[in-house]
Amino acid sequence: MKTYELQDVATPNLLEDTFPYSLPPVIKFEGKIHELIDGKIVEFDPNEVKTREIHITDTTFRDGQQARPPYKKDQMVRLYEMMSRLGGPNGVLRQSEFFLYTKNDRETIDACRALNLRYPEITGWIRANKGDFRLVKEMNLKETGMLTSSSDYHIFHKQNQTRKQAMDQYVDVVQAAWEAGIRPRCHLEDVTRADLPGFVLPFVQQLERLSEQVPDHMKVKIRLCDTMGFGISYPNAAEPRSIPKLIWRLRHECGITPDRLEWHGHNDFHKVHINGVSSWIYGLNALNTTLFGFGERTGNPPLEGAIMEYVALKGGLNGVNLPVITEMVEYYEREIGTHLASNYPFVGKDFNTTRAGIHAGGLRKFEQIYNIFDTAALLNRPPRVSITDKSGSDGVALWVNEFLGLKGDERLTVMKVSKIFRWVMDQYEKEGRMSSITDEELEEQVKAHLPEYYAKHRKN
Amino acid sequence: MDKAEIKKRVEKVIAQVLKIDPKEITPNANFAFDLGADSMQSIELIAAFEEEFNIQMDEQKAREVQTVEGAVDFIAGYLK
Repeated sequence: MKTYELQDVATPNLLEDTFPYSLPPVIKFEGKIHELIDGKIVEFDPNEVKTREIHITDTTFRDGQQARPPYKKDQMVRLYEMMSRLGGPNGVLRQSEFFLYTKNDRETIDACRALNLRYPEITGWIRANKGDFRLVKEMNLKETGMLTSSSDYHIFHKQNQTRKQAMDQYVDVVQAAWEAGIRPRCHLEDVTRADLPGFVLPFVQQLERLSEQVPDHMKVKIRLCDTMGFGISYPNAAEPRSIPKLIWRLRHECGITPDRLEWHGHNDFHKVHINGVSSWIYGLNALNTTLFGFGERTGNPPLEGAIMEYVALKGGLNGVNLPVITEMVEYYEREIGTHLASNYPFVGKDFNTTRAGIHAGGLRKFEQIYNIFDTAALLNRPPRVSITDKSGSDGVALWVNEFLGLKGDERLTVMKVSKIFRWVMDQYEKEGRMSSITDEELEEQVKAHLPEYYAKHRKN
Repeated sequence: MDKAEIKKRVEKVIAQVLKIDPKEITPNANFAFDLGADSMQSIELIAAFEEEFNIQMDEQKAREVQTVEGAVDFIAGYLK
């Protein structure tokens, strides 16, 4: 057994290579991953993701709208503009897909295009129906997604077709797309519950053969739709649920290049984010997401989570503008009226709020102890405390200092806020209160007990 | 200010904050174990000393003081 000796160091080792604080923690890999496919060991190099051109695509206005009342045109245009700023000039947020079926859908696309933004590129979404290409062409879109359901659940029980009938129809629609000068993106619906060797792989191989007749920029793209969230990223999981094996077969047995492969997940089993990121690591480039994860039933990979993971994997921003995430949630709650769970990562009201006094004490002494990264700089969201009877004097001091915007030696000690702390505790011990103290109540206490500080730092 | 004056005023503050009879306050009395100060009262005591003597004490060091005599010495250090 290897023996470890205590290293009683004079200065702390904060592991800043991995936890730089100025960025989300960096994700590092130390070796290759092995997967057993058809009895043979297949190697994946996770470090390849550092150099491969992974990116994010968006379906907030398609799948995202299937989970909620429709957005108004103005709201979509505003969100689209914010997405463009969030993803930055290098197109980390590369594409966004839109419905084309209603007048409102089409007017929205026109209004978004009028902004003249390079990214995200606007693509369409249609059913596998040749007639629907008229809509794509009228909107002058270069690419459209189309439903090509791949499991027998869909082929037999939804479409009442045989596999051959389904495949022939899909191929016809792909040919029609090319004839219309539109790049087809086949959405392999329910692929994690499909017969891979019996339908999916022969279908994709056929698409790839057909793609030989068109230039590279028109070759078929494949979206892997984990429609029911059955996908599994664990090593050596069995097919068809295995994400590593699925991607490997499409790349190595069907010849689909990473730039033409996309993952679209659902969160029915709480795996949506990690499955999406795993698909990046196992060899595809595009991760399809929705803002705040809103999507059919349990939702899709959250856009803001994917952005954060992108930065963590790449170890840099590459033009991503993270504070826009906070703008987006403020707009979402204020103008659209949908409120997110307060503990929702990166955007919820309390995502970096602590209630425990002992945590507040840590935060007050050294912010990095209980803050995941510099949320003030990266998200315009300094860490906060929510005051209850469990917050302690440290929590009250932290709240008051943040409220007054005091830094360094200016910061008030727990003694200076002791009267406010007493008032808080009396609320619970004498008044029998059961709820958190609100910010407004605390502001009144600051006015009453620290009037000179309030006058100096908050009055105007 | 001499130590006797500091001690007198420290005892007055302790009696007020902890709501105890000044006779219970002895130089070696421990704030928590002998005089019954809980963590919130300990902070209120320090705050009251700061107000009484018009000083600003180091929070960490002030919280380490445990006895009446220790408090008198600690405060005297700020009044030199």
